[in-house]
Amino acid sequence: MKKNMNIKQCNAKLIKYEMLNILGNPFADFFGVVFPIMMLFIITKAMKSEIPARGYAEACATVFISMSMIIPMAILLLGYAATYAQELEKEIPLRMMLFGYPESAAMLAKIIAQTIVVTAALLIYGIIGGIGLELSMPTVGAVIGLILCQYLLGVIFFGIAHGVSSLFRKFGPTYAVMMTLYFGIMILCGMMGIKAEDLPKFLQVISNLLPMSHIGNDYIDVWMGRSYNFVPMLQAFLFLGAVAGIIMVMAGYKNRRTRG
Amino acid sequence: MKDSFISIWNLSKCVVCIGGALSELTAYVFAADFPRVLRRRMEANMLLSINHLQVQYGKQTALDIEQNIMIEPGDRIGIIGSNGAGKTTLVKSILGLTNYKGSIQTELKKEEIGVHMQYNNYTNTMPVKNVMETLLNTSIKKNRKLQELIHFFEFEPCLKKRYSSLSGGQKQRFTIIMVMMQDAPLTFYDEVTSGLDFETRQKLMEKLLEWYQGKENALCIVSHYYDELELLADKVLVLDQGKLIAFGNKEMLFEKYCGHAVITIDNSEKNDMLTKQFSHLLSPGHLIALSCQDVVEEEKIIRVLLEQDVNFKRSNHDIEIMYINAKALYYGGECVDSHLAQDTMKGGQNEEKHEYKAV
Repeated sequence: MKKNMNIKQCNAKLIKYEMLNILGNPFADFFGVVFPIMMLFIITKAMKSEIPARGYAEACATVFISMSMIIPMAILLLGYAATYAQELEKEIPLRMMLFGYPESAAMLAKIIAQTIVVTAALLIYGIIGGIGLELSMPTVGAVIGLILCQYLLGVIFFGIAHGVSSLFRKFGPTYAVMMTLYFGIMILCGMMGIKAEDLPKFLQVISNLLPMSHIGNDYIDVWMGRSYNFVPMLQAFLFLGAVAGIIMVMAGYKNRRTRG
Repeated sequence: MKDSFISIWNLSKCVVCIGGALSELTAYVFAADFPRVLRRRMEANMLLSINHLQVQYGKQTALDIEQNIMIEPGDRIGIIGSNGAGKTTLVKSILGLTNYKGSIQTELKKEEIGVHMQYNNYTNTMPVKNVMETLLNTSIKKNRKLQELIHFFEFEPCLKKRYSSLSGGQKQRFTIIMVMMQDAPLTFYDEVTSGLDFETRQKLMEKLLEWYQGKENALCIVSHYYDELELLADKVLVLDQGKLIAFGNKEMLFEKYCGHAVITIDNSEKNDMLTKQFSHLLSPGHLIALSCQDVVEEEKIIRVLLEQDVNFKRSNHDIEIMYINAKALYYGGECVDSHLAQDTMKGGQNEEKHEYKAV
């Protein structure tokens, strides 16, 4: 009998399946695509009367940068965690494996599909924001830097989401943890209207440990071509990356199995 | 002269050949590891071999099989046992989905084993058509074999539905179609007909028979429906409380536990009196099962039943009766002697024995 007849690789059908899986989650669609654009226009409209016309374009750019981070947060941190936890609870990855898709192939398809969806959402956000708002013109380096930050955040969020859902393997607790993280990050990083300086001291320390705070509050300096010290932001990236790594290792340890 | 030389040459060649074969045979027979050599030969033809398998769930032993189980190409194995017997645990161990002690030898990868699990779930974020096409990596439009299966199972109207919107039977059919399409060398059907109506169950069994007719694929069918196993299985594996009660050829096991044939009649006082002279087997409460050790005994019993106008059923592969008696014998009872059977029942060594009637 033919050997390895059922082993499949990552293919276009599997990537399409994973994309449908992401888009079939209405919460990810709303919070990842509609919500950041909606928030961008609501906030910029509300502050128009409060900010002098000279500084309005820069203020719009600050909000644009902050709100852009909601996209990887909603699609990866929240959406992916919810979908994957549900899959684990229903043992869908096991079924995929039994139908010949090794874990690596399924994982690769998930990563490609998530990248495509996040890229599309960022593009839609960038085009609508760019056309609909009076943004101050960024330098090319700043745009590239912001895109890099978004993808780096995406990788870290994917790691956290994957680790947490693999730890719990249930939708309920995973969703509770991720929602707390999602809103916690939004509050700590100034996306809910509270500035980091107004937070209690210990929360300011935590806020400084998150790269989203640095991007949301300080990246405007890079955007405007002013000098900026990247070291604290890089340190924050390293810290959050390490957290994601630890969660992944814990999940791997918990799900390890010894075979006879 | 030339002819005699050729004859001598041919003769010497024959002698060398026979000598070679004999020396090989002698080497096998007299080798210290003769059983091992024989076993290796057997294993070369097997798909999967299980040795001393033990599975623990916490402090509870879910499976403890001391014997050797071999699955060969073309095998049709019926796995039977009551709830908690370890049937699904056995399947999960083979798939490497649960921790175990002992050895499961196979060259098959997990992906090369087809499985219809007892509970199957799929994503609800898209229609089942997309799920099917992805899992099978094919297109329904272009795959004639898949189209035929979908048509046979009348699954066309379900293709656009999401998995959660399918009925129980439709969900089962969805997985069965995909497992059949896999055409794996070894396939497990774990309680595949549970939750299906009688007609669908019959149709499904017919299709399974037809699909695997003459194929090399080995099948392991876990079922509580004995009639299904009588139709599909040529080997039977009996599990109870994690222990292997019996494993082997269906007919041989039947012969071992029930005799040449079994005649079953309704359990009534009249029938009981009528058949008192014959050997009784343990049987479900509503039946009296008579063991026939040979054709002569069988004819004798049938003659008595015909004379008394008693309806009867004759079988030489009744899995249910074989199963009941194999279990009774394993737990120390005697299956064909009515008095001993009664003793076994009184002994209360096995709770489940009380479900059956000892005559």
